[in-house]
Amino acid sequence: MEQNTAVEEIGAIVPESSVQFLSFTLGDEEYGVTILSVQEIRSWEPVSKIPNVPSYEKGVVNLRGAIVPIIDLRERFNLKHSKYTSLTVVVVLQAVCRGKNRTMGVVVDSVSDVMNIEKNNIQSAPDFGTKVSTEFINGIASVDNRMVMLLDVKKLLKLDGVNEDAGEEDND
Amino acid sequence: MKVNMPVTDKEVIMKDGTILVTRTNLKGVITYANDAFVEISGFALNELVGKNHNMVRHPDMPSIAFQDLWETVQASKPWTAPVKNRTKTGDYYWVEANVTPVYKNGSVVEYLSVRYAPSREQVDAADKLYRELNNTKPTTIRPTGLAKLTKNIKEMSINKKALIATILFLIPNVCSMIESYQTQDMIHLGGVAFLSLIAVMLGYSILSGLLKTITSSQSIFKEIADEQFRNEIDLDRNDQIGDFYRDLYSMQVKLNADLAFSKQVGAESLRIKQALDNVNSSVMVANNNLEIIYMNNTVLETFKNAEADIKTQLPHFDSSKLLGANIDQFHKEPSKQRGMLAALTSTHKAELILGGRTLAFVANPVLDEEGDRIGIVVEWLDRTAEVKIQKEIEHLVNAVKEGDLSNRLELADKTGFFEHLSAGINELTDGIEQAFSEINSAMQYLATGNLSSKITAEYHGVYGECKNNINATIDKLAEIVGQVRESSDFINNASREIAAGNNNLSERVETQASSLEETASSMEELTSTVKNNSENAQEAKKVSTKARGLAEKGGDIVTSAVNAMAEINESSNKISAIIGVIDEIAFQTNLLALNASVEAARAGEQGRGFSVVATEVRNLAQRSAAAAQESKALIQTSIQKVRTGTEFVNETGSALNEIVTGVQHVGDIISEIAAASIEQSQGIEQVNQAVSQMDEITQQNAALAEEASAASVSMSDQSETMTSLLAFFQTAETSGIKRAAIVPAAAIRSSVESQPVSSSPKPSVRTESARVVASNEEDSEWGEF
Repeated sequence: MEQNTAVEEIGAIVPESSVQFLSFTLGDEEYGVTILSVQEIRSWEPVSKIPNVPSYEKGVVNLRGAIVPIIDLRERFNLKHSKYTSLTVVVVLQAVCRGKNRTMGVVVDSVSDVMNIEKNNIQSAPDFGTKVSTEFINGIASVDNRMVMLLDVKKLLKLDGVNEDAGEEDND
Repeated sequence: MKVNMPVTDKEVIMKDGTILVTRTNLKGVITYANDAFVEISGFALNELVGKNHNMVRHPDMPSIAFQDLWETVQASKPWTAPVKNRTKTGDYYWVEANVTPVYKNGSVVEYLSVRYAPSREQVDAADKLYRELNNTKPTTIRPTGLAKLTKNIKEMSINKKALIATILFLIPNVCSMIESYQTQDMIHLGGVAFLSLIAVMLGYSILSGLLKTITSSQSIFKEIADEQFRNEIDLDRNDQIGDFYRDLYSMQVKLNADLAFSKQVGAESLRIKQALDNVNSSVMVANNNLEIIYMNNTVLETFKNAEADIKTQLPHFDSSKLLGANIDQFHKEPSKQRGMLAALTSTHKAELILGGRTLAFVANPVLDEEGDRIGIVVEWLDRTAEVKIQKEIEHLVNAVKEGDLSNRLELADKTGFFEHLSAGINELTDGIEQAFSEINSAMQYLATGNLSSKITAEYHGVYGECKNNINATIDKLAEIVGQVRESSDFINNASREIAAGNNNLSERVETQASSLEETASSMEELTSTVKNNSENAQEAKKVSTKARGLAEKGGDIVTSAVNAMAEINESSNKISAIIGVIDEIAFQTNLLALNASVEAARAGEQGRGFSVVATEVRNLAQRSAAAAQESKALIQTSIQKVRTGTEFVNETGSALNEIVTGVQHVGDIISEIAAASIEQSQGIEQVNQAVSQMDEITQQNAALAEEASAASVSMSDQSETMTSLLAFFQTAETSGIKRAAIVPAAAIRSSVESQPVSSSPKPSVRTESARVVASNEEDSEWGEF
C-alpha cells in the first residue's frame, strides 16, 4: 500500500509512466530516493555532536533555522565507514510521518544523478528475509544495466522511529 | 966509666909536677921505669929495662958525683942532687934526683929513684959545681980537712953532745961547789948541788925522752918504709913530742890509705891487665913514643903464629922481642905511620898486609885525666884466615853465581867457626846442586818432549815449591798437550770439512753471482716498467682530474635540473589546486543543478523547462567535473612524472657526486700509484744498487771463499804439522801409543784443487779479491787460519 502511495506520489509529479529518482552511491552500490522527498542537497559540513546517540547519528546542523539531524547512511546500513571529504554530500530528506513533517540529513558518498525510471522497470525488493532489505528498500530498478536500490524514505525516516519519541521531541 | 955519645946542646925541659921513677936492683940495672921517664929519655921501655942505669948518664956529669951516689946509697942512705941526663938522641935534661934504698923485711932489696923537675937556680948551681968538679977532678966531693972536722963535730951524736954539755954545765957548778965547800958555805953548796943535780936529771930526762922518741920514730919510719903501717904510737902526750907523734901518726895513716888506694888501683889495673891478657882480642898498648909497653897473650900468640910469614917481609921481626920495641918495626916506611900515630886523637882503623898475612888494627889514643895523650892502644886482628876464607867463599859464590856448582870449600885447613861455615856453605851448594840437577834432568826430559818424568826427591821451602811447580807444569803441560792433541785432531778434521765446505760455498757463490746478474737485468727491466707505470699513472691522474671536473659540471647541471623540476612540480601543484577549484565549482554546480532538478521536480509541470535547464547545467557541471578530473589526473600524472624525474635527477646528482668523489678517489689513488711508482722506482734503484753491491760482495765472497779454501788447506797443513809436532811430546798416557794416522794435507789440497773454486773469475773480481785479501790480511781475520 505504501508502495502504491509512493507510486502515486511519483505519478502525481511526473508522467505516469516514469518516476524521477535522485540517485546516490554508498561505496559501489547505487541507491535512489524519490526526488520529491529530497529537500535539498548539501555538501558536508561539520555537525554538532549529540551525546548518547547511536554511532550512525552524527549530530545536528542548523539548516536555515531548522535543526536537522544527520545520520551516516553507511553506518546505518552497516557498511564500512568512509572518511568525509569535500565531495561527501548530505542529502536532506523530508517526509510526512503521522502527520508531522520530518526532515533528516543522510550522509552519502556522492550524488549521482536525477534519473527518470519507468515504473515498469521498478521491481520489488527481493525477499532475503533480512531485516534491512525488507525494511528500507522499496524496489530495485535497473538503469543502464546498473542496479539502483530504491529506498523508502518514510521507512528510512521512520526507522528512526526507534527514536520516534526523541524525534518527535526534536521536532517539537 | 960509660960515656954516652953523642950529645947536643938541646935541653929538654922537664915539666913541673912530673915525676920520673925508676927502680934499679942493687947493681944499678933498671928493673922498672915509669912512662914519664921512658918518654923523656927517648928510649923504648925494652931498651931501658934490663940495662944499667948509666945508659942515660950525660958525659957532663962528673963521675965523682955517681961515686958519691953509690957510696951514699950503699951506706943505706938516701941521696939527692940535681943530675944532668942524656936522652937517646943526645939531648939533655935536668932532674932533681932522689935515690933511696928500698927495704924489704929489714934489708935493702933495691934502689928507688924519684926525680923532680929542678928549679933553674938549682940547675945553674949544679952546672957550675959540675964544671968545677970536672975541671979539678977531686977524689971526693965530701968535705975534707977542717970542713970535715966541722962537719964531724956538727954531726956528733946527741949523747956525746949531751955529755959534753953536761960536763960543761957541771964544771962551773962543781967549781962553785968546791968554792962553797971551801968556804964552808954548806947551804950554798947544798943548793948548787941540789939544783945541778936537778938540772942534770932533768936534762937527762929530756934527752933520754928525745932519744927514745927519735929511736922509736926511726924504727917506725923503717917499718913504714917496709910498708908496715900498724905501728903503735903514743898519742896521749901533751908536749911537743906528743904533737910530733900525732903528726907522725897522721902521716902513717895517710900513707897507709894512699898505699891502699894505690894498691887498689894497682889491683884494678892488674885485674884489667890480666883480663886483657886473657881476652881473645889482640890488644897492644904503646906509649907516646910508640914503644910497645903492653901485649896481651892473644896478640903474642897472634904474632907468634904470624912470625914466619912476617919474617918473609920483615926479616928482623921477632915476636918474642916485641914488648918494649917500637911499633915502627911493623912498617917498611915507619915515618908515615909514625906521623899518623903521633897525631892520633881518635880511632884509627887500618889493615896491614905483612908477608901474606892480613892484619887489621884499630888504634885508639889513651888519655890521662887532663886529656893529654899518654899512649895508644892498638887492637890487632889477624884476618888472614878470615880473608882467605872470604876469598874462598867469594870464589865459590862467584862460581855459584856463574852457575858452576862443582866447587866446594876445603874443610881440612879450617877449624871452628870457619869450618862450620864452610861445611854449611858446602851443604848449601850440595843442596842447590842436587835441586838444580834434578830440575835440570826434569827439564831435559821436558825438552825432549818426555812429559812422564817428574822430580821425585823431597824438598822443602822454595825448592819444594819449585819442585811442585815444575811437576805441576809437567802435569799441566801433559794435560794441555793431550787436549791440544785432541783439538788438533779435531782441527784437522774440521779443516778438511771447512775446505770441502769452502768449495761448496765457492760454487754456490758463483751461482749466486750469476743469479744476481740476472736479477740485476730483471731489475733494470722492472725499473723501466715502473717508470712507464709512473708516467701512465701521471697521465691517468690528469684524465681523472679532467673527469672529475666534468663530473662536477654535470653535478651542477643536475642541480639546475632538480631546481627546474621543483619549479615544474610547484606549477603543477598550482594547476592541480586550480583544477581542484574547478572541480569544486563543478561539484557545487552539480549540486546546485541537482537542487534545481529537485526544485523543478517539485514544481511539476511548471518546472519542466527548468528541469531541462537544470539537467543541462548538470550535464555541463558533470562534463566540467569530468574534464577537471581528467586534467587533475593529467596533472597528477605530470606531478608524478616530475617527481619521478626529480628523483632521477637527484639520483643522478648524487651519482654524479659519487662519481666526483670516486673520480677524486681515483685521482688520489692514481696519485698514490704515481708516488708509489716513483718510490718503487727509487726502491728499485736501491734494489738495483743493492743487487749490484750484492753482486760485488758475492764476487768478493767468491774470492774470499777461494781464499778460505786455500786457507783451510793451509790450516789443514798447519794442523797436520801441529799434530806431528805434538807427537814430540810423550805423556804418560800416550807414550808408546802410536797416534792415529792423520790424513795428509796434501790429499786435502789435491781434493780441493780438483774442484776449481772459481770457474770463470772476472778480472775485476780478481783485483777486488786481491784487495780484499790484502785488507783482510791487515785485519788478520783470516790470518788466524
